[in-house]
Amino acid sequence: MSDPSEKTPPPPVLLGVESVSRSFGGIQALWQVSLQVRPGTIHSVIGPNGAGKTTLFNVITGAYKPDSGRILYRGEEVQGRKVHELVRLGMARTFQNVELFGSMSVLENVLVGQHVRTRCGFLGAVGRWPWVKREEAEARRKGMELLEFVGLEEFASQRSEDLPFGWQRFLEIARALATAPRLLLLDEPASGLNAVETERLGDLLERIRKEGITLILVEHDMSLTMGISDAILVLHQGKKLAEGTPREIQSNDAVIAAYLGSER
Amino acid sequence: MRQFTFAAAILALGLTVSQSYHLQLLTFIGIHTLLALGLNMLMGYAGQISLGHAAFYGLGAYGTGILTVHWGFSPWAGLPLTLALTFVVAFLVALPMLKLSGYYLGMGTLGFGMIAFVVFREWSSLTGGDSGLVGIPALDVGGVSLSSGKAGYFLVWACVLLAFFACERVVDSRVGRALRAIHDSERAAAAMGIDTSRLKVWVFVFSALLASLAGFLYAHLVTFISPNSFDFLVSVRIVTMVVIGGMASIWGSLLGAAVLTILPEWLHVFTDYEMVVYGLILMTIMIFLPQGLTRGILDIHERSKRKDTAASSAPRS
Repeated sequence: MSDPSEKTPPPPVLLGVESVSRSFGGIQALWQVSLQVRPGTIHSVIGPNGAGKTTLFNVITGAYKPDSGRILYRGEEVQGRKVHELVRLGMARTFQNVELFGSMSVLENVLVGQHVRTRCGFLGAVGRWPWVKREEAEARRKGMELLEFVGLEEFASQRSEDLPFGWQRFLEIARALATAPRLLLLDEPASGLNAVETERLGDLLERIRKEGITLILVEHDMSLTMGISDAILVLHQGKKLAEGTPREIQSNDAVIAAYLGSER
Repeated sequence: MRQFTFAAAILALGLTVSQSYHLQLLTFIGIHTLLALGLNMLMGYAGQISLGHAAFYGLGAYGTGILTVHWGFSPWAGLPLTLALTFVVAFLVALPMLKLSGYYLGMGTLGFGMIAFVVFREWSSLTGGDSGLVGIPALDVGGVSLSSGKAGYFLVWACVLLAFFACERVVDSRVGRALRAIHDSERAAAAMGIDTSRLKVWVFVFSALLASLAGFLYAHLVTFISPNSFDFLVSVRIVTMVVIGGMASIWGSLLGAAVLTILPEWLHVFTDYEMVVYGLILMTIMIFLPQGLTRGILDIHERSKRKDTAASSAPRS
């Protein structure tokens, strides 16, 4: 699938994880995991607690370095790059336990999200030259647009930690979108959401995909993943257990035995 | 708008106050405000503690002192040179230091402060050692001295006004938001593409430059400096100004600096018990207004306003 001669846009593979391993002390958190993500798709990574889903996320987004294996982003090796460099390249993420900038307003959170797409520094801030003012106005306009996109525009000036939990999740997604990503990784976006909010989330993810952004989610909520995913990767004890379309996964015996079967 | 009111208040105070003791006190409040403001950018906004800020205060004072006394530079040439020196030193210190965080950063900066103090005291051929550096020239413009009474007051407060202006703009900008983001969650800040270690180095340098400017002004106003003005206790006092005034509050720096400058003067009446009363007052403020004076006063104000509206709208029985 990844023919190197086809690297020019649109790349056939946006993200390629090639037999990545990572251990912590004596625990093998990931063992030879591979994953291919085509642009414009929604991928889900599922598996029981401790299966290595979040580790995989952290390795992809640069928080951890893999012990071995390669990570290709748009055909370029990116393993070991710093988190903030990957964001600049168009990789954004959210956290399992929402990590907003609590003391800042809802809009400010989204403005911080635009950090890599703006460039005013200390001198620009003090000088407030015309281009700085233009940049700031443009960032605010874009920020409001994003808040509208997730339905939080009327809370723009509220402190973000005062929002109800479900809305904080939506704000975190808006903030990640503000980095103008090509690839968005969501770590358990549905956890802590009620049924109505989960449905709204599914709807939002569809709309994000329509904007041309590729999504990878780590999820526990089966109904959400089965409904919207193009492909699912099942991890079990750090290894790949199965990969395929939702339908294939649902009828995969190994998955049913190891994951669904053991839970129900 | 607030800047205009502030400028007007400075002007009015400067014109009305004539007693030299009061003018001197106000001038020192100004110098301390610069110190607190710089540290507040680092501590209050970016959330990185420094227990060695007196080192940069001292660097500013000794830098210009040595340049003018030993090498015959004019103070105005001393200023950019001193600031450049501070820039380099702060940058080199920050590179390894800001890899630390929390208590460890506190310890690291504490150590740096100690080293700087020892250098000020022991390098006597340049610094004059324990007996201090004497005969630092006063600042002047075309023969008019800027260091005495009113002129000194206006010079210092003009610097404070500029620093306020700069800090307010920085806080309310892309950089300021990034700093506050680091304070709230460094992990999430990195996930937004903020180069957190680099930005921490820059805010440390910025903060050191303000402290150095304060040191420069101090040296030329007092015309005599000795190591004790830049020891560990001074670092602690700057931290206290920030905490008492209010973290992450620009006006809090002014308030904290004012309280910590004026209190010891007023408390002279308690003679032997001066320090006891001083400590008690600081403790009381922290217990009842843990967010610092600025936030505390604002909260009290808002609460009383809410009570007023509640009282007027509630039916009386």
